[in-house]
Amino acid sequence: MKKYNQYFLIFILLAQVVACVKPYEPAPVKADNNYLVVDGLINASPNSETTVTLSRTKNLGDTVLFHPELNAAVFIEAENGGNYILQQKPNGIYSISNLTLNNNEKYRLKIFTTDGREHVSDYVPVKISPPVDSVTWRQDGDVTVYVHSHDAANNTKYYRWEYKETWEYHSPYETDMYVRNRYIYFADSNFQVYKCWDSAYSSDIVTKSTINLSQDVVSNHPVAVVPKNSAKIGVRYSVLVKQYAITEEAHQFWEILKKNTEQLGTLFDPQPSQLKGNIKCISNPSEPVIGFVSASSVSEKRIFIDSSEVKDWVAYQSGSICQTITIGLNASDYRIFDFPDTNYSPYYFVTGGMVLLKVPCLICTTRGGTNFKPSYWR
Amino acid sequence: MRFTSRNFVLLCCILTFLSITARSQDKKLITGNFSGFSFAQLVNEAEKQTGMRFYYNAAETDSLRINISANGITLSALLDQVLKNTGLQYAINPRGEVFISLRFAIQTDLPPGFFVRSIKNKDSASVPVIPLAEENKPKEKLKNSVENKLFEIGIKGSDPNKTSSTIAGYIRDVKNGEAITGASVYVDSPAIGVISDQFGYYSVTLPKGRHSLQVSSAGMKDTRRQVLLQADGKLDIEMETFVPSLKTVVITAEKKSNVRSLQMGLERLSIKSIKQVPVVLGEADILRVILTLPGVTSVGEASTGFNVRGGSSDQNLILFNDATIYNPSHLFGFFSSFNPDVVKNVELYKSAIPEKYGGRLSSVLDVSSRDGNNKKISGSGGIGPLTSKLVIEGPLAKEKTTFIIGGRTTYSNWILKTIPNESYNNSRASFYDANLHINHAINNKNNLYLTGYMSGDKFKLNNDTLYQYNNRNINLKWKHNFSNKFYGVLTGGFDNYQYAVSADQNKVNAFKLDFDIKQVYLRADFSYSAGNKHNFNFGINSIRYALKPGAFQPVGSQSLVTPDEVQAEQALESAVYFGDKYSITPKLSVNGGIRFSLFNYLGPHDVYSYIPGLPRDKNSLIDTIVYAKGKSIKNYLGPEYRLTLRYSLTDNSSVKISYNTLRQYIHLLSNTAAISPTDVWKLSDPNIKPQLGDQFSLGYYRNFKSNTIETSLEVYYKRLKNFLDYKSGATIIMNKQIETAIITTRGKAYGAELLIKKLSGKVNGWFSYTWSRTLLQQDDPIAGELINEGKYYPANYDKPHNVNLVSNYKFSHRYSLSLNVVYNTGRPVTLPIAIFNLGGAQRVLYSDRNAYRIPDYFRTDLSINIEGNHKIKKLAHSSWSFGVYNILARQNAFSVYFVQQNAVIKGYKLSIFGTAIPYVTYNFKF
Repeated sequence: MKKYNQYFLIFILLAQVVACVKPYEPAPVKADNNYLVVDGLINASPNSETTVTLSRTKNLGDTVLFHPELNAAVFIEAENGGNYILQQKPNGIYSISNLTLNNNEKYRLKIFTTDGREHVSDYVPVKISPPVDSVTWRQDGDVTVYVHSHDAANNTKYYRWEYKETWEYHSPYETDMYVRNRYIYFADSNFQVYKCWDSAYSSDIVTKSTINLSQDVVSNHPVAVVPKNSAKIGVRYSVLVKQYAITEEAHQFWEILKKNTEQLGTLFDPQPSQLKGNIKCISNPSEPVIGFVSASSVSEKRIFIDSSEVKDWVAYQSGSICQTITIGLNASDYRIFDFPDTNYSPYYFVTGGMVLLKVPCLICTTRGGTNFKPSYWR
Repeated sequence: MRFTSRNFVLLCCILTFLSITARSQDKKLITGNFSGFSFAQLVNEAEKQTGMRFYYNAAETDSLRINISANGITLSALLDQVLKNTGLQYAINPRGEVFISLRFAIQTDLPPGFFVRSIKNKDSASVPVIPLAEENKPKEKLKNSVENKLFEIGIKGSDPNKTSSTIAGYIRDVKNGEAITGASVYVDSPAIGVISDQFGYYSVTLPKGRHSLQVSSAGMKDTRRQVLLQADGKLDIEMETFVPSLKTVVITAEKKSNVRSLQMGLERLSIKSIKQVPVVLGEADILRVILTLPGVTSVGEASTGFNVRGGSSDQNLILFNDATIYNPSHLFGFFSSFNPDVVKNVELYKSAIPEKYGGRLSSVLDVSSRDGNNKKISGSGGIGPLTSKLVIEGPLAKEKTTFIIGGRTTYSNWILKTIPNESYNNSRASFYDANLHINHAINNKNNLYLTGYMSGDKFKLNNDTLYQYNNRNINLKWKHNFSNKFYGVLTGGFDNYQYAVSADQNKVNAFKLDFDIKQVYLRADFSYSAGNKHNFNFGINSIRYALKPGAFQPVGSQSLVTPDEVQAEQALESAVYFGDKYSITPKLSVNGGIRFSLFNYLGPHDVYSYIPGLPRDKNSLIDTIVYAKGKSIKNYLGPEYRLTLRYSLTDNSSVKISYNTLRQYIHLLSNTAAISPTDVWKLSDPNIKPQLGDQFSLGYYRNFKSNTIETSLEVYYKRLKNFLDYKSGATIIMNKQIETAIITTRGKAYGAELLIKKLSGKVNGWFSYTWSRTLLQQDDPIAGELINEGKYYPANYDKPHNVNLVSNYKFSHRYSLSLNVVYNTGRPVTLPIAIFNLGGAQRVLYSDRNAYRIPDYFRTDLSINIEGNHKIKKLAHSSWSFGVYNILARQNAFSVYFVQQNAVIKGYKLSIFGTAIPYVTYNFKF
């Protein structure tokens, strides 16, 4: 039922050469747009951590990535009294651990910002997410990851998922040497530069309503897509799917947000809608506050995909051309690496000299990941 | 000897040229006792005695019994006695031939005054004249002789008490007998004019005496008829197609209809002018040409609907021979679903909507089909890059019954398969439409018209979701002429529109969604002209609606989809109307009308009620009332007023004023920018009030250069009430409580329209400029959320400046060049104003609704049309059309939008026809 917005393709295929999409940069839209953005979920799972990220909106032309809202006072308040203060962490993150919530109670978020304004969310019920039955994947060119779940009590109805992808990758060339402070060190099992792990959080909004099904069953719901030949499945890939149970209002909020940003562009798309969250600025009611606070337990499941399991997959790695050069050894101490071009790193020794390759060809951490193996990796 | 009516016409033609007086033959005397004779026996006897030959129709005379004995009387004296009080007339020509005919005597010589410009009083014995058909004569001769000939209408002295009489008849195309709609018939003194109706029928009342009827119609050669009006009578007029001459011609056409007619805000286009306009992919398209008229806009290039004077696209009543077409387009608006070879003409009423029509707020688009060639079987067709079409037409029974049947289809599926891309290969897109129209003349007074229409679209994307929609319409019309001045049309029909969406890729979620709207209607319309001062129109009509707003069904055994159905809706919309066109003085006329409409929302239906004064949502739902089948749930009724006033300033200029009110009981629910195939129609119910609208307009009309150039300037102000808009993120499909998704708004629209039109000559076409605004305001106190804080905001199709040039230059009979230029302001859009991070990615915050505009639109099209040679004896007459759509290859924005890609927000501009599109089309006629 959600695929009504696909017909746009038809235009292109009927007049393939005629329809075209060009980048469009309108005159900068000036607006007083310094609104508070609240991103977070009150985590009702036992022994879990609740984190809330506060930031400010920015202009379209603003090149600063993120404007965190610092030094705010953030509380979780129960409807029948009792509140918990969240601790500030860097980058506008506020968190609290080991919160024990009453599942029959309603909670809200209360935020005092440094400009003296007070913001509160609506009181929201605590929803309990049913377990994730399984996470599966299928390859159809791209690899698509699907989630399956059900609620035998037919209570959940609205689901939202987030996921975290982690993947192992290797440098194009393996070496046991790395350079630190002009000295050559040798790698060992505690510190190596060949195998690395990188992660990414979901950036799409994935929700599903089972309201029109006779049973509360989620079957084969696509969550994540790994494009064909992505480096993510160069060696081994893993995805952790987190499932939340949400209210109907929250579902609507995420759907609107999704429609406004992910689906626009087709001809029959709805007009962008005004985004209405459940947070208000009570000091200045006309000032919008962006975000929707929900309270839910979190159920999760992880799967692994090995590069040997995917078909016709040539993991594409960006980076420099790996061409070796050979230099002589340092006369005083062969461990001193004083080659003037710091883009190079030692590969192996040869008689009287050393073969070098560009750093990204050897040191995997320069490609963004970490060389510490995650605890759950297998 | 007998003759049939077919030979009769031919015979009359020959006789017209005989001009010797008939009296000389009438010398031989007859004697005998003919008591108890049949007419045939009498004729036998008379032929023997006089040597004359009788021609008569046995059917007309076989009931006659003779009771006469003659003793040496002339044949005329005998026939005078025999035929007395029988209604039969006789005529005797110099060759000794006797013609017996019903009502009118055969004219055996030319009327007095044929060669003399003035008319003399004829003696009482002279024979009355009947109009003659002239099809077998050379054309030029025909024109001259017909135009200069005097037609005597009615029998002199048959109606001595009246000073004026009525002439009525049909105006037809001489070539194929096709009725000509909207032709004007008028006389200069006194200045009286009428317009032929959809059947080509006209009726004009004039003082008795001699008149010259001027007849003109767009695309046809002006013609005139000299009449001597003695009493009420019939005069059918045939017109010829206007073929521009290679030499310079001085056109003294009398094209004053725009200035003279009482109708305001009417755009009338013949299919000929529509076909000259270059269009995308070479397929002549009614809706695209409609969009070049002042006051008509659309959301974008490839959108289904059109907007008239600030109305939404569901406020247009689209009629095809009186059948309502709910979805008038194929492939999302790439093509309109009217086959151009079947269409005769198109009328768009934008301001003064005749009281006959109702049920939509903004306009009536009346598309009428041709009746079919009544002279011979012929056909036409066309081959274009995406579609092909074929039309066959002709007489079933000569001059009595004609038919036209047409079909059109596409081969886009084949094209899709050839595109080397998997997702295109797995996609399907196809459509068809078919028309049938049968016209049967039972007799002089009764005509039957049968119309059938079907269209269908089917498309599937990448093997996934399949969309289909269909229109099906049929109706039967019976026209009865009670007299020359009074006729009625009874129409009954059935309209159906349905769509279905289905997907079966995912077995668990496999579904099919159906939507269906059916309407059965019956209407009786009457027109009565009382003298020339009054023309009354009145009638009654009723539509029974049955809607299935959505049925959601599982497909396959594995599907877990719960069958779901939105309750069916039923209603009855009825109306009575009465209108009078009253010519107060020759300069001043007024058209006043009232229409009273009644809408009954009928059971079975469960109606939800909400706490009054609170936003309608699940929380404010208090009760459900169950109504049984046929039970009246809610009635809406009210009057609608139609008033138009025309004052002629001079012979070629006039001023018109009109005021209209309208009511609309059926609404299209759509929260997308363009109409999408899955939009839902909804009837007014206890929670959704009918939309109300009124419009005031004022216009100045002036013709220049011997009326070859028509200009008009109209201004209007329009108000809309209970106009529907939607809550943010509202779901419309399968929403059982649709009233919780809807908010009502108030709208106002105003503008000025300038039109300069030249429809004849080497250079022809039109230029229009429109300035208009359409603003909406959410004034629903219980909406729950306010769009733009309850202030006025521009509607999606608010485009203040609109310029259109449609032109055609004829180099010769065979070559012509067409040029289109379109400019308009970009449509309003809601722009992103800020960026924020939420849910792991950057997202956009949008501005107030429709606070900004997309870039302006500008397009130029060019085409060259080449007619085949004009040899008469050819297997098929063909024509080629070569053209380029968007010749400047401007990348006009259909839409701008912002998407999140790789966690960054990017703005894009979508152009549907972003480059020059050449096309070739081949059309043929046989």
